[in-house]
Amino acid sequence: MLEAIVGGLTMLLTPQAVLFMFIGVVYGLMVGILPGLGGIVAMALLLPFAYGYETAAMLALLLGAHIATIWGSSVTGILFKVPGAAKSLALIFDGYPLTQQGHASRALGASATAALLGGILGAIFLAISIPIVRPVMLFLGPPEYLMMALWGLTIIATFSEGSLLKGLVAACIGVLIAFIGMDPVTATPRFTFGSIFLLDGVSFPVAMIGLFAVAEMMKLYVKGGSILDRDVTEERSTVLDGVRDAIRHWWLVARSSLLGVWIGVLPGIGASVGGIAAYAQAVQTSKTPERFGHGAIEGVIAPDATVGANEGGGLMPTLAFGIPGGESMAILLIAFVTMGVTPGPQMMTNHLDLVFAMMWIIVLANGMTTLIGLGISPYLARLPAMNANIMVPLVLSVCFIGAFATRGDIEDVIVAAIFGGIGYIMEKYNYSRANLVIGMVLAEMIERNLHISLTLHGDWFLFTRPITLTMFIFVIFTTALPFYRNWRRGRMVAASTGGRP
Amino acid sequence: MKTTWKTALAGALALVLSAVMVPFGGEATAGMYDGKVITLIVPNSPSGRMTRYARLYAPYIAKYTGAKEVRVVNKKGGGGVKGTNFLWVQEPDGMTIAFTSVPTLILAQLSGSEAVQFDATKFVYLGRAATEPRVMVVGGNNEIKSIQDVMSLNRPFINPSQGTDEDFYTLAILADAIGFDLKIVTGYEGQADTGVAIIKGDGDGLLTSWAYTIPMVEAGDMRPILTIWEERHTDYPDVPTALEVVKAEKKDAVEAIINMLAMHRGFFGPPNMDPTATAELRKAISMASADPELQAKGKEQGLILLPSDGETEQKRIVQITKASQGLKPVLKAALDSIK
Repeated sequence: MLEAIVGGLTMLLTPQAVLFMFIGVVYGLMVGILPGLGGIVAMALLLPFAYGYETAAMLALLLGAHIATIWGSSVTGILFKVPGAAKSLALIFDGYPLTQQGHASRALGASATAALLGGILGAIFLAISIPIVRPVMLFLGPPEYLMMALWGLTIIATFSEGSLLKGLVAACIGVLIAFIGMDPVTATPRFTFGSIFLLDGVSFPVAMIGLFAVAEMMKLYVKGGSILDRDVTEERSTVLDGVRDAIRHWWLVARSSLLGVWIGVLPGIGASVGGIAAYAQAVQTSKTPERFGHGAIEGVIAPDATVGANEGGGLMPTLAFGIPGGESMAILLIAFVTMGVTPGPQMMTNHLDLVFAMMWIIVLANGMTTLIGLGISPYLARLPAMNANIMVPLVLSVCFIGAFATRGDIEDVIVAAIFGGIGYIMEKYNYSRANLVIGMVLAEMIERNLHISLTLHGDWFLFTRPITLTMFIFVIFTTALPFYRNWRRGRMVAASTGGRP
Repeated sequence: MKTTWKTALAGALALVLSAVMVPFGGEATAGMYDGKVITLIVPNSPSGRMTRYARLYAPYIAKYTGAKEVRVVNKKGGGGVKGTNFLWVQEPDGMTIAFTSVPTLILAQLSGSEAVQFDATKFVYLGRAATEPRVMVVGGNNEIKSIQDVMSLNRPFINPSQGTDEDFYTLAILADAIGFDLKIVTGYEGQADTGVAIIKGDGDGLLTSWAYTIPMVEAGDMRPILTIWEERHTDYPDVPTALEVVKAEKKDAVEAIINMLAMHRGFFGPPNMDPTATAELRKAISMASADPELQAKGKEQGLILLPSDGETEQKRIVQITKASQGLKPVLKAALDSIK
């Protein structure tokens, strides 16, 4: 095995492989920053140019670009509340408030470092987990995925500050929006009103662009000035503060990375769910959960570490079974086939060096992205200080181009504008936009897995599958925990004030 | 002197003109596409195999039509229906054509899908790039070892499915024609999800392309039990074809579906497309398929080519339409079974 680890690294130490990785990373960063375009598009566009070169160089170019898009998507989420891709959604919850408070550099630094650490830890966890990945994949199924999605829903309480009812209303609207389009179970159009465009549902990235970025620009236009808080005149922290934050919260990074690896390993769970799940566990394990949503640095670190680690996990279905775990892995699978390598379990015996070469690419491309990221962060952090007169038209143009680029439909631009209005109204009347998005992300996952669980395992599947039942109890426990803490804190306050309010 | 001056001017003009014309010269003859942009709609994912075939062909279609560019535009959604609906309403001037899985469109139409706004028989077919056999596989550890085991099962054959794609409809037709009880469980997300479901035994089997199953069959995770093709596959000569096991009175249905699957990755244009454009595009696609450079690139990229010309595909669609009317009740029943 050690030989394969060294062999994998040696494959990458050629001028061509290093150059290709650098090109891939720079290209990936640029693609990632544009909303609507993600790693899959980046890889798909690169694929035709990748043939005819060294195996390692080809993989370095493709995987390097894919990895770099992750941090690229985080940048716009943190700075402008424009998530570059669905998986970077959770970053805006605390990343943007940090920017408003003058801590953009710190947030970007923490984000880049967390993604790097997540990538490295993810690759290590994966290398250690290789022997158990296959049995675990075969052990967990739709009922367990359903429990994971339900666990994700518990985060709604975090964003329901002030009124739990308003929080639930927002989440329900999100669920209803997710139901627009072709029902994945019965192939029946829902809420489409005869529109062909709506058959494919509301695009999640487009809804996010509208809900957050367009709404925020509307708010900025009304308010004037810049997106920074009025009392912020200069950056209050540096990129290095962010790096230190990520290292200081090493335990959170480790937990989030492990979560990311397994979410990547399990087919049927998207990376966007991963970011939200990471955020949920950061909130639920925090001693001060009330800081989340207002600029807690842990809210940036956890999702980025998870998404960073997720990529390594995503390799596993491809390596363990020869089944592409997602679209990006389908592209890698194509690359393998053209190299004459049959993906699947035999890769672990016949081409273990190639498996480790990919793990090295994940680590090195993450390192390269972080180095470039940390270098450009101080300059990027100046952007939010721009005046509304420049900022609003600039960001709105990027948003609408991004909305169009998502599927190439002009209707998506209209959808982004409509969601901008919805977001603005929700913000004004204190309905959590985050809850709406969480409802949207988790609705389909819950619907699909609930249907499959009921069909395959019967109405009482919850009680006939011990793992599902254990997970269900865990969901109830973690949901009740914040309420119990609040109740205990209330009692302590009451005791210390002698029962006076 | 005057004549000399005029001759010199004409000579200079000719020289300039010929210099300007040289870059536009080449293999294409002067035609309606010279210097124009052809839009090639692919109603599938930008990262999928369909788009890769389209991108492989695009520069060669441009080369043989003389077009400035053949621009690949992905209009993904509704299992290919959305982009095809878009093509249906385009001007039939030959400037917008499409490339996708033709059987998916025909089956979606036959099933009475509410989303379909087109009539697949009215499109103008321009040629096929490739087709490959479909295969029915079961999990490696499943009690089912052959298609005979499926036929004698005393319970339904469980098929994890992503939804109403061509494999969904094809399996429903096969179940009716061969005679086994089928339970389709929809809601799975992607091939990885359905593949793992049958490997671990949540479902019995599925229908997919031969190329997709190779790694899993080699690893013993999946077992092929039926080929949906005219003849047995050379790699697995022991696996029977659907035509060998079908009930005699249902043979037409299986032949229709095999014919349909044979149209697989095809180019087509809107109804009543301009005859000159049709002729030029059919010729260009045939020439592109025969181009050794395209063939070498296809091989390099793992894209198997099995071309067929536009006229043949157009005739095939007429036969399919006639033969497939009897399939409608089966397809409708399959759709009803998941409601």
